[in-house]
Amino acid sequence: MIYLDHAATSFPKPPEVLDAVRRWFSEVGVSADRGDGPHCQDARVEVAAARSLVADLVGTKSGLVAFHSGATESLNLVLRALLRPGDGVVATAFEHSSVARPLVTLQKERDLRLHVIPPDADGALSVDAVVTALAMHRPAVFVFPHASNVTGACFDAAAFCDVARRAGVVTVLDACQTAGLFDLRVGADFVVASGHKALLGPPGIGFVASRERELSPQKQGGTGSSAALAEHPTRWPYAFEAGTPNTPAIFGLAAALRYRDAVARSAALAASVANTVALAEALVRLPGVSLVAPTGHARAPVLSFVHADFDPAEIGAMLAAADIHVRTGFHCAPWLHRHLGTELAGTVRVSPGPDLSPAEIAAVAAAIG
Amino acid sequence: MERYSRQMRVAGVGPEGQRRLLASRALIVGCGALGTHAATALVRAGVGEVELVDRDIVEWSNLQRQILFTEADARDAVPKAVAAAAHLRSANADCRVTAHVADCNVEFLAHLASEPTVVLDGTDNFATRYVLNDWCARHAVPWIYAGAVGTEGAAMVLRPGGPCLRCLWPEPPRQADVGNCETAGILAPAIAAVVAFQVAEAMKVMLGADTTRGVFTCDVWRGQYGVLPVASAPAEDCVVCRGRAFPALVGERPGAVTLCGRDAVQIDVPRGASVDLDAIAARLTGIAVDVVRTAHLLRFKADGCRFSVFPDGRTLVFGVHDPLRARALFDRWVGVA
Repeated sequence: MIYLDHAATSFPKPPEVLDAVRRWFSEVGVSADRGDGPHCQDARVEVAAARSLVADLVGTKSGLVAFHSGATESLNLVLRALLRPGDGVVATAFEHSSVARPLVTLQKERDLRLHVIPPDADGALSVDAVVTALAMHRPAVFVFPHASNVTGACFDAAAFCDVARRAGVVTVLDACQTAGLFDLRVGADFVVASGHKALLGPPGIGFVASRERELSPQKQGGTGSSAALAEHPTRWPYAFEAGTPNTPAIFGLAAALRYRDAVARSAALAASVANTVALAEALVRLPGVSLVAPTGHARAPVLSFVHADFDPAEIGAMLAAADIHVRTGFHCAPWLHRHLGTELAGTVRVSPGPDLSPAEIAAVAAAIG
Repeated sequence: MERYSRQMRVAGVGPEGQRRLLASRALIVGCGALGTHAATALVRAGVGEVELVDRDIVEWSNLQRQILFTEADARDAVPKAVAAAAHLRSANADCRVTAHVADCNVEFLAHLASEPTVVLDGTDNFATRYVLNDWCARHAVPWIYAGAVGTEGAAMVLRPGGPCLRCLWPEPPRQADVGNCETAGILAPAIAAVVAFQVAEAMKVMLGADTTRGVFTCDVWRGQYGVLPVASAPAEDCVVCRGRAFPALVGERPGAVTLCGRDAVQIDVPRGASVDLDAIAARLTGIAVDVVRTAHLLRFKADGCRFSVFPDGRTLVFGVHDPLRARALFDRWVGVA
């Protein structure tokens, strides 16, 4: 199989990640902070290491990293905790459903003033557009993705965070498409990412990391700390980790973060983007194909295209017949497709990893052309 | 019992036989031409419970031969099982008629409230027939195959212990080889002739009488009717009768998924399947609209939907949202797997 769906989840995972998950099941078996024996200590050490590795990744303290079932849970927590009735919130047309849907729900529940910044004519998002939106709408929160999961357009997150901080607006960065590739130390108040995409971890683990910001817990339950109290704790990170944690996935994530360290992350980004550009060049040569994506190297390794004669679902089936795995349709980006003019059938989305040979790129073109 | 007086006068029925019919349960799979003819006869004959299962809706092209349905049913696109049950209930209140709008697959059969006395085949595809064959063999339920296309028809009783359908044809014939009503047409009397045999045999099963051995065949155009003999014992190499394996109950049938946010359904076929797109294209030419064969797919329009069939059998049906409906259209027009 030629796997071109790394924007959904990375495949295959490094053997080190599988070994770490297996080690938890075969040798550890318990949660951190749920006992005192050597197994528990083993779990505690590794979970602490995972927090520290994530903290390094985003540039914060390890005590300000909370693990969840995925970025969706983290984003729901942060948005629900930050937004109060009547608040303003600015988002972008590039949001994934894991941001768009909680916002639309909260808009109804809490009478939010929601403003969505449209893409500019180039399919990008300028700092000026952000400055203008923040000035006009005076939101409490600005939430934005580091890169589009549909087009691969990537945004100047450091500049966005800077202008938001000057405007007194709390920033929430959705780094799902970039964690494991881009530098996430951009000054966001909250960084959210899933562990199973370019971070190379297993599914079932995501995190939110904060810069000294308080939140109110949105889910109450057992935390392994303050167990004698009926009241849920309020301190990071336990306040936001109610219930038995997914410790095997945290083990896997820690192994993945060691496997793809900062040097490996920039190498993976360069290789993945080079593969994306090469795919784009091969695809635009095919009659009928138009890219729905920025061109060039300043991008995340994901691109979308449409075909004049074939529905995206047909292209997906043609590629599947050649054992090439891509994604077709709407990619959980409900606001973006209207701006791209792809609201009827969506797009074909291709997202390579760092390993893709010229022969495989040729096979993709041959399966369509 | 007065309403059954003429039927009870028949030797082999009598008041005891009528009570047996009233205590019987018939499952009719498919509510098209075969199913509506058979259901009408069984409900009027006083079969106690008749269960109808069909996944499709009534269309104008059905009215020529699918008795029970009205123009209003076609106009309102009523599910066939629902429309048939409604009309049947007014024909005989003694009979409990149940309608299932469903695909008669392994899961459906597993959830039947209780096993039927007899199963009548009213389907238009061999994939479902092989599921029926294997399920009936496993559960020791007699079933009666029936099929009609053009001016010809065939029917046969398949009793527990065999021979079964696989003794005659170990694998389902390709839909492209047998044709169907959409491609070869259908004359209504061919249906009536086949169902006459099928219903009489079903009644004999319910009455505990011996059933006819062999394949009933007819050609109502040429005026030929007869029963071809078949072996009385199961085939030596039959996986069902001899091996007690039931391939259709374990194999995956194609899944159907509505594409996220689209008015389109994708039919998936088991991995490793392949279809002859050229053969399907040849069969559809002149019947379906806009038949186009490209290097990678076959496209055509039929029943108001656009189909794209790929070499691995995967099929996209555009213009339909309901996976059940898409599956029915797939079996009708593509008919692989």
